[in-house]
Amino acid sequence: MSTPPEALSASQIAEKSRDVEAVVPPEGADAIAHVPVRPIKVIRPPSFSLSTIFTGLRTLTQYSDLLYTLSLFRLNVRYKQSVLGWTWAALQPLALMGIYTLIFTRVTRVETGGVPYPVFVFSALLPWIFFSSTISNAVNGLVLYPNLLTKMYFPREIIPLSYVLAALTDFCIASVILMGVMTYYKVPLTLHLLYAIPIIVVLGGVAAAVALFLSAIQVRFRDMGLAMPFLLQIWMFTVPVVYSLQSVPERYRAIYLLDPIAGLIESFRQVVVHGAAPEPRSLAFCAGLTLIGLALSYAFFKSSEATMADVI
Amino acid sequence: MLDIKFNNVSKKYKLRTNGDSAKRWYRRGPQKSGDMWALRDVSFQVREGEALGIVGHNGAGKTTILKLLSSITAPSSGEITIRGRLAALVEVSSGFHPELSGMENIYLHGAMLGMRRSEIRRKLESIVEFSGVGRYIDVPVKRYSSGMYVRLGFAIAAHLDPDILLLDEVLAVGDAAFQAKCLDRITDLRKDGRTLVFISHDLAAVYRLCDRALLLNHGSILVDGPPRQVIDHYEEMTFADQGTSLEEVASSRVAQCTSITFSAPDSPEIRTGHPMTACLGYRASSSVPNAVFRVSIYWPSGYLCTQLTTETNGCKPLLAPGAGTIEFRCSKLPIVPGLYRVDLSIESNGNEIDLRQRCATLRVEPGEIVYGDFFVDNTWEVSEPRSHPVTSKAD
Repeated sequence: MSTPPEALSASQIAEKSRDVEAVVPPEGADAIAHVPVRPIKVIRPPSFSLSTIFTGLRTLTQYSDLLYTLSLFRLNVRYKQSVLGWTWAALQPLALMGIYTLIFTRVTRVETGGVPYPVFVFSALLPWIFFSSTISNAVNGLVLYPNLLTKMYFPREIIPLSYVLAALTDFCIASVILMGVMTYYKVPLTLHLLYAIPIIVVLGGVAAAVALFLSAIQVRFRDMGLAMPFLLQIWMFTVPVVYSLQSVPERYRAIYLLDPIAGLIESFRQVVVHGAAPEPRSLAFCAGLTLIGLALSYAFFKSSEATMADVI
Repeated sequence: MLDIKFNNVSKKYKLRTNGDSAKRWYRRGPQKSGDMWALRDVSFQVREGEALGIVGHNGAGKTTILKLLSSITAPSSGEITIRGRLAALVEVSSGFHPELSGMENIYLHGAMLGMRRSEIRRKLESIVEFSGVGRYIDVPVKRYSSGMYVRLGFAIAAHLDPDILLLDEVLAVGDAAFQAKCLDRITDLRKDGRTLVFISHDLAAVYRLCDRALLLNHGSILVDGPPRQVIDHYEEMTFADQGTSLEEVASSRVAQCTSITFSAPDSPEIRTGHPMTACLGYRASSSVPNAVFRVSIYWPSGYLCTQLTTETNGCKPLLAPGAGTIEFRCSKLPIVPGLYRVDLSIESNGNEIDLRQRCATLRVEPGEIVYGDFFVDNTWEVSEPRSHPVTSKAD
């Protein structure tokens, strides 16, 4: 067993730095031992401008390890001291699937186009839960630990974004269950399933845009956090989760699909359940809308970030 | 090269009770709005490798400067330029999560401070050793003692390897041994040519660590100069705010102090190692038996430095009614340069009959060279080596 050469004890490090100082003058030591080119940072009063997106993204890449660590930590903490642990990621959509199946096959009937209702609803619940759990967690993310905002600095968007990644992991776990459910109900698994990947990427973008926007507002106005649970409940019934897009009257469908979530969830279900390719125009529309929304939302977030510590 | 540049920086806070409530929206008429300027038009620069101390009363704007430097908040106007990687050691364990183990928290907190995972992995062993947490490293930090918590936090921050280090009262944590360790680490970084910005109420530490200091008052810079000068100014300002006067009290006191003057016979200033005279004036309304006079000289920290007293002389004069003076003469003043607070008191038969707390100050200028706490009067001579050269050869 040997320790790697870089692993020095504190005293050894101190010793080493003294050695360096003894051999070369301080300026020389500085240039050799440390980063040769120092970053220059200029801090000015905050303003809303799209140029903050680029400086923001540059800083964000420097902190990419924090985004990874924090997302991992969200998952770790969530399931710490719980008996069932990771199975919760699958239990929640399964339970919802059960209750909706009971209601929409026994109490009333929903047109599914011949697909077994559990598969029909489960395939839409997964993207919806990915979106809604991101939003409901991220909205409170910044205000949950005010100390982080008032005592130390890191790009604040990492907090809402870490919830997106954590929810994405949960989504992946639940996807395995979805395939199990599909196999059970003898719905064929096709290669078209791969189309789900771009759909989920765009959905993640929408979730990130909404999370950034709402979490920045929540720092100032706590009404956001209070309104979110029931807003999300209403939102779920305005997108095709428990019913199909075909049940929406034709003349309202264009307005209905202005909500990118509705379009994305419908596309996801098409791909998974019907093994069909998504409609390219609809997906492109959603992607374009998401990109614009994400840019605006990020610029807004960065402009309000500067004073978050003062108002929280 | 300049590492930090503050260019006419101001920071304004809006005074509100608690966020914006709906009332603000439907209330008519002019709204009451209070602004608080935490910093007003502050400009200063820090050179590479320089150690800058910032002192000032609570609310003078010290922490605001630190928050601006570390990007926690942004200025209302002005511009700040920072050259290099900056690390702030402010409440070092605020990023900890109680449910995670010490090890997991090292990764999380280290990442929040801007360290790469690979960097943390490389320094892990050293961090754990520095913290002294040892075998508890895999235990959730909610089970840690508060000391372990803070030590782990500092251990991570101490391994940041920044170009510019910001310190805010962090030396006030942990036990004496750990504080010494922290100070060693900071001294090492200083020797290495790193820039330091140090915010503290511990004036002795500012004097010890810094090359230059700023005195802040109500959001602007009052003095910018060598630490000694700034500390003196700050202490004078502090003393001006408190203390009693020597005006006569028209009371039933049988005797009272009326004046105190410190002087040096041969120079306008009082200097360490030079003669000093303290002249205490008093007035007695009736005769006072066994009177003892005391001139107590206090450190700025509030501890008694020394006392001039008539008690030790063995003679306890019976004061006659009327006014008089007592002169204390000191041939070589042993106390080090600085500003001291002075209390005066008169006792009779062991009972205090007059006490004037903080009624005067004593400024001591540098005189004889002193290292340590006080000057020792001494003489010295050199004895020349005789004809035999010293050899270290052993037969």
